[in-house]
Amino acid sequence: MVGSPVLLIAIPLLAAFLIPLIGMIWKESVRLIPGLVLAFMLVSSASMLLYVTNNSTIIETIAGWQAPWGINLVFSPLTGFLATLMIFLGFIVWLFSYRFKRNVDFEPAKKYFIFLMMLVAGAVGIVITGDIFNQFVFIEITSISAYALTAFYTGRNSAEASFKYLLMGSLSSSALLIAIAIIYSQLGTLNMADIADKMYLMPTGYKITALIFFFMGIGIEAEIFPLNGWAPDAYTEAPGPIGAAFAGIVVKAGVYAMIRLVFTLFDIPNSMQFLVVIGLVTLIVAETSAIKQDKLKRMLAYSSIGQMGLVFVAFGIGTAEGVFAALFLMLNHAIIKPLLFLSGSYLVFNSKEKKISEVNGLGKHMPITSLLFALGAFAIVGLPPFSGFWSKLSVLTAAANEGMILIIALVLIVSVVEIVYYFRVVNRIYFFEKSDNVVVQKPRINAMIAMLILGSIILVIGFDPDIVSIYLHKASHDLMNTREYIDNVLSIGQSLTK
Amino acid sequence: MNNELYEILRYGILGGSILLILIGLYAALTKRSLIKIIIGLSIVDGGIHLLLIGIGYVKNGTAPIFSPGFENSTANMVDPVPQALVLTAIVIGFAVTAVALSLVIRLYRHHNTLEIDEIKNLKW
Repeated sequence: MVGSPVLLIAIPLLAAFLIPLIGMIWKESVRLIPGLVLAFMLVSSASMLLYVTNNSTIIETIAGWQAPWGINLVFSPLTGFLATLMIFLGFIVWLFSYRFKRNVDFEPAKKYFIFLMMLVAGAVGIVITGDIFNQFVFIEITSISAYALTAFYTGRNSAEASFKYLLMGSLSSSALLIAIAIIYSQLGTLNMADIADKMYLMPTGYKITALIFFFMGIGIEAEIFPLNGWAPDAYTEAPGPIGAAFAGIVVKAGVYAMIRLVFTLFDIPNSMQFLVVIGLVTLIVAETSAIKQDKLKRMLAYSSIGQMGLVFVAFGIGTAEGVFAALFLMLNHAIIKPLLFLSGSYLVFNSKEKKISEVNGLGKHMPITSLLFALGAFAIVGLPPFSGFWSKLSVLTAAANEGMILIIALVLIVSVVEIVYYFRVVNRIYFFEKSDNVVVQKPRINAMIAMLILGSIILVIGFDPDIVSIYLHKASHDLMNTREYIDNVLSIGQSLTK
Repeated sequence: MNNELYEILRYGILGGSILLILIGLYAALTKRSLIKIIIGLSIVDGGIHLLLIGIGYVKNGTAPIFSPGFENSTANMVDPVPQALVLTAIVIGFAVTAVALSLVIRLYRHHNTLEIDEIKNLKW
């Protein structure tokens, strides 16, 4: 075991604020330090994940205040799995964008990497914290860096997309704060385990009001249906690798915060059906919108929203199998969608409009990038030898075991829609003639390595899904077992007071 | 302070905070000027801060500070946690407002207007 959970938050934050200082002395460090930090975090987080899979959950109390009073960090199989996944994605995004343009200035590169580090720190914080107000603070850190990264390019309409995101994000964070105020006024505690333990004391009316405000507050990061208006614009206007970071890091953190609420904090009986309903609505609305898009990144953004809908449907099945399927989907989405964003951003690199029609015939001119995009497209719709197949299969079997025929039918219909719009792009890449005014952009070597890593992971999981399923089973057991979570967190406090 | 006055004060604070939140929401959702929208968001924030402070208030409360002569008055201290939350929330609100205003500057340079109806390169 290397390091401790608190380092996963402290080190990237420290690095984010040290980058400009060290950058004044040695300019290259601005690009190198984030990579070193993320590599260390990845090793540390992976080793802790191995430890918690075989032993007990790591719980760290901050500043010596025990569990119900102070802030604690919980590194369990579930949170550790998600944290490791996010840090890995952060590393891939860094590798891809290390020198993202040939002669990018020092200033933009500095800002870009500062915000990338803050994004990763905030997202990891959302996942491993055990305190709802602390989670609110991390959600704000993540959101503010996401607003800034969305507005990174001055030439595009990025400021508009970012303002739209900020408007929705700011209102929803207000809702989150109101929800926290309701919980605190009723239960007098902010610790998640303590809230879950005392939840039965809360009148049902307050409970439902708080849950609705929480949904409004967190749904925006998790891209659930009425709150995802920011996503298509932000994904389109942000730099390509940042789209990958949104899909792989920010959204995963939002989904985690949501399921922690529903599974652990609130014991409202019908909330599972509610998850299924919002998941299905999100899925259907997003996939039907995706098929109408003529811009590549916008289509990918809608597809990303749709996948999150499917994740919520799988969580809403409510059994351990359903949770396993949902976590598997999250893992696959976190690997495949960044691959699509990264390779897609090179396919439309030099075009102004980023239209799908501009990828015509690029298969001959940029063979590896096109192949990787096609691989991602095949994997995300769930064709058999790739990783996406296993997650979709596990959703369907979990639904079948519960007799939810409607879910199976809808998921299959939506898969057909997905196949239509992804294969349309792949068809254009390989079987259309390239028009003369499209300028081909060769990927840089570091970007190529980043994409190849993601592509090979898709193949490895596709051929041997068992190498990840042990972690996923542990994580789903961890999420389902609320009592164990509460006892784990609160017993630490008791043992210290004795 | 007698009971009646305390109850009036308590409900006054809660009602006032909800009123502030609603005023802010009205401004943020109906005004067409970017600056007014941001002012609305700040008013919502202010309302929520007041709500949090109101939750932590106790009857005849004193400041939650241990000082000479007040060692035994923990029972009367107001709850310090909401105050800590409000301090944090103020800082966050400040950061969000700063980012929002810098985006407005960028938008103004790009479009030469602050009217949200005229900034429509993307679908709203």
